Amino acid sequence: MVAETIVAPSRAPAKRRGHLRLSRRERRNLAVGLLFISPWLIGFLVFLVYPIVYTIRISFTRYTGFGEPEWIGLDNYRNMLHDDLFWTAVYNTLYYTALAVPIGAVVAMILALAMNQPLPEVPIYRAIIYIPSVIPLFTLTFVYQNLVHPTQGVFNRFLIWLGLPNINWFGDPRYAKLALVLLAQYGAGQVAVIFLAALKGIPASLYEAASLDGASAWRRFWGITLPLMTPVILYDLILGVSLGLQIFTQVYIISGDPPGGPANSTLMYVVYLYNNAFRFGAMGYAAALAWVLFVVTLVLALLIFRSSRWWVHYETT
Amino acid sequence: MGNDAWRDLVRKLRSRRIDRREFMKRASALGAGAMAISGALRQVPTRAQEPTTVTFWTTFTDPDLSILQSMVETYNSQAQGHQVELVQIPPAQVTDVTKLMTAVRGGTGPDVYHLDRFIVAQRAADGLLQDLSGLGADLSPYIAFARAEATFNGKPYALPFDTDARALYYRHDLLQSAGIDPAELDPANGPVTWDRIAEIAGPLNQQDSAGNYTRMGFIPWVNQGWHYTFGFSWGASFFDEATCTVTPDEQAMVDASTWVQNYCIELDAAKVNAFGGPTMQPGFPVQQHPFIVGTLAMQITGDWAINQMETYAPDAEYGITWMPVPKEGDQSVTWAGGWSVVIPQGAKHVEEAWTFMQWFAGEPGQRIYTKESKHLPTIEALLSDTELFEGRHQFFAELLPTAKNRPPLPVGAKYWDELTVAWQKIYLNEEEPASALATVKERVQPDLQRFCPIEMS
Amino acid sequence: MANAVPVERAQPAVRASARRQWLAKYARREIVPRLLLIPLCGFYLLPFYWMLVNALKTNEELSIYPPSWFPDEIAWSNFSRAVEVFPFWRFLGNTSLITVFTVIGVALTNPIVAYGFSRIEWPGRDTIFYLVLATVFIPYPALIVALFDIFAQLGWVNTFKPLIVPFFFCFIPSPFWIFLLRQFFLRIPHEISDAARLDGASELRILYQIIMPQSWPALSAVSLFAALHAWNDFLGPLLYLQDTSKYTLSIGLTFFQSQSRYDIQFNLLMAASALVILPVVLIFLSFQRAFVEGVTVSGIK
Repeated sequence: MVAETIVAPSRAPAKRRGHLRLSRRERRNLAVGLLFISPWLIGFLVFLVYPIVYTIRISFTRYTGFGEPEWIGLDNYRNMLHDDLFWTAVYNTLYYTALAVPIGAVVAMILALAMNQPLPEVPIYRAIIYIPSVIPLFTLTFVYQNLVHPTQGVFNRFLIWLGLPNINWFGDPRYAKLALVLLAQYGAGQVAVIFLAALKGIPASLYEAASLDGASAWRRFWGITLPLMTPVILYDLILGVSLGLQIFTQVYIISGDPPGGPANSTLMYVVYLYNNAFRFGAMGYAAALAWVLFVVTLVLALLIFRSSRWWVHYETT
Repeated sequence: MGNDAWRDLVRKLRSRRIDRREFMKRASALGAGAMAISGALRQVPTRAQEPTTVTFWTTFTDPDLSILQSMVETYNSQAQGHQVELVQIPPAQVTDVTKLMTAVRGGTGPDVYHLDRFIVAQRAADGLLQDLSGLGADLSPYIAFARAEATFNGKPYALPFDTDARALYYRHDLLQSAGIDPAELDPANGPVTWDRIAEIAGPLNQQDSAGNYTRMGFIPWVNQGWHYTFGFSWGASFFDEATCTVTPDEQAMVDASTWVQNYCIELDAAKVNAFGGPTMQPGFPVQQHPFIVGTLAMQITGDWAINQMETYAPDAEYGITWMPVPKEGDQSVTWAGGWSVVIPQGAKHVEEAWTFMQWFAGEPGQRIYTKESKHLPTIEALLSDTELFEGRHQFFAELLPTAKNRPPLPVGAKYWDELTVAWQKIYLNEEEPASALATVKERVQPDLQRFCPIEMS
Repeated sequence: MANAVPVERAQPAVRASARRQWLAKYARREIVPRLLLIPLCGFYLLPFYWMLVNALKTNEELSIYPPSWFPDEIAWSNFSRAVEVFPFWRFLGNTSLITVFTVIGVALTNPIVAYGFSRIEWPGRDTIFYLVLATVFIPYPALIVALFDIFAQLGWVNTFKPLIVPFFFCFIPSPFWIFLLRQFFLRIPHEISDAARLDGASELRILYQIIMPQSWPALSAVSLFAALHAWNDFLGPLLYLQDTSKYTLSIGLTFFQSQSRYDIQFNLLMAASALVILPVVLIFLSFQRAFVEGVTVSGIK
């Protein structure tokens, strides 16, 4: 708190005096800043600029991947509007993301709090919660499929034991997406670890002070823990939305022939994109699909970012 | 708070200087190390220096992979001026050629590729494959349907390799337990009707107290009970060459679908799906397949199941018979698929690749493969060579000359996908057959249109 | 702290209530968390347990319905058979090499870049940061064709370079890790770094001597994610490696499927998977200490 009174020159808002006229300090900061981000900059220029430009270009063509791309202007984009599979994929993907992201955040928070308990054996709990995240997806999806077998799976026998109706998770188009949401929870250990790291970064002194004031555990969570976790919650939301909208591998592994079954109930956006690019020989259309998803994700991410200034707290002072 | 702590840190900073130059040096050394090691690994020779190495990519896994390996070794021992290197690439959905596509574009593709034959036309249309007519390809020794699949617009793009066929498998023990004499299904008695199969299956169905099936007589769509299987049985053709249209909505296919849908509705489509559905997911352990376990009395599957039964249910008594027919007196119809070898664009050793392919997919190669793998050959002459087929395989060899094939269209992958989606909607009782099948046509025909007219050989 | 605890008044009348209080506290600290944790762990242990059980089942036992919870006859031989389906040790070596260098690359550059996006104030910083983040919003499958062309041009196909070198340059999905580090760096109070700057410390030194020691939890999380990414990556090795001797474990696992994909050697796949995740579990067990101890080491909070 004392430190706040010390001058913090680098955080002084840059006074805009026109775009090119920067102060010496600003110019120095710009140079140092660019130097620090130069690994990314180099990587971007070498590995990403060409693929991005290329993908934009072929999104205006009909192209199988071989021979000359045939220029068709905006047709690929226009065709999307009349492509009911496109809309099916959009619906499925939004459905999945809308469920998986908030549920995932809550589950990860619960896991992180659980992993943060001051119990001697807590490293074991941490390892157990994290283990599903290290199982290769290829194996995990198959094990999971086995666990949710409609009549013999452990999950379903548990449901029956509880007196609940039996669910044919992956076989029934009504439940297949929910099965994917549930599967995603097995990966919640990833985010929980980040949350745990953030929890560990909260100064114990804050809790002690609050305890002295007689705040209950519940109050301490809402008053201290949650606000100080907001930077990583922001991270999780951006990550979750991006990964949720791009869900691909598990669907591709699990849903058999064709990917996205049964009855297109798990036809996710990127699965449809992949099918077009690498199975149907419609590279141009796939590229157009990619840019539409990119713009949608970007808008969503920007909305979340914009909103973050109202609810994310940085410095722990 | 922590005022002293930070002062302390700043002090430490002063005293223990990190030499930035030193740090950068180390960092770049690490980076260089990474490159050096990977570079060194790249140069590790995988075999002794030879004049020419023909690379051959296959998605096959064991046990069939080992057979390919020994075939290649046999070939290499007598090949002149070149050697073939077999490279196993991960198995994928058969119409997924991501690895091949990227590699061929980048100029690092193989000389020979193992491709599912029904997708040859599509990949040829995409421009991924080399036209083999310039090399003097002669498809005449091959069975008619394999020839058709290896050809696109009158030109050969592949040499057919093995094939397979579908038939009805039935378990003696289960049929007997319901008081049915398995002899009724003996191939010697000719095909029975689908309705008769439903009659036989009925008493075999058992449910637990919650209504879940614990045993079933027959599930039309399990294993190889695809759209094409039933469509062909009812006489559907799926493509009309004269008008260059896909015809998933033709009456025969609607009738076949209606029969399947009614069968499922009768037994509660969702419950049938709960019993049979998991077998259609890729991760399902084959050991738990209801036909192998003995909780499914009849299923449609291919000749490869003979090996599976030998491995996983060696004691089970079962028979294999004709694909059933819609009406008494109809001709029993099955269909066949299989693999082929192709030369992708950008292959570096076309001549040598071609020499190898002729051996591999020709009589010498197919003879070895048929004998070892118990798959079926596509060379007509080999089909009559009875010493190649033991017992149960003989039946499949006899089915082949009349087997149908999926129309080799440049939109084969999409057509398969769309038919399968419709098929799932039909057997899950989500949509009427006619409208589900009409959707297939709506989605596939526009893609096909730009290739019209299409000449089927 | 000492003054926070109400001094106990050892009067006999209140002794019972004190005991009850002690019991309540004991329950709150020792029992309730376990009541929550143990079922939770049951759920998370299930896939791992199921994998192990199936790895140890014989073919005969795999076909028993309903599946048994514990194998009657333990088939240890599944493990020896599984490592013969593909050259397990060779693939393990390849995967380890790729993983080690990926982690080095990520650990080397990601904190520096994250520092540039969080602790140095420069014009256009946030705009560029959004651009960094935006690159991970491009569906990856759309990029792989052109990306492969680049690596082919560089002559890197069929080497480990496309799998390693880009990670020294913050390649996808590094932006996520940079973002994560940035979030942590932003939380660190500016007082110390500002003072250090006034004392003439370079930015790099501030990063390594002030920021990094306080970010151990985040750094270990990022290294772990990078390791996992490299360890389990499938698409990269699938595309860029063209020689069986260069494959990785994630590729090897697919060899348990038949070419039709409908016949899978389930018990062997499970056995191989158990071997594959073993090193990662060990790494995690050693890393997880960093989440706890990292903070006490920095001693600042």
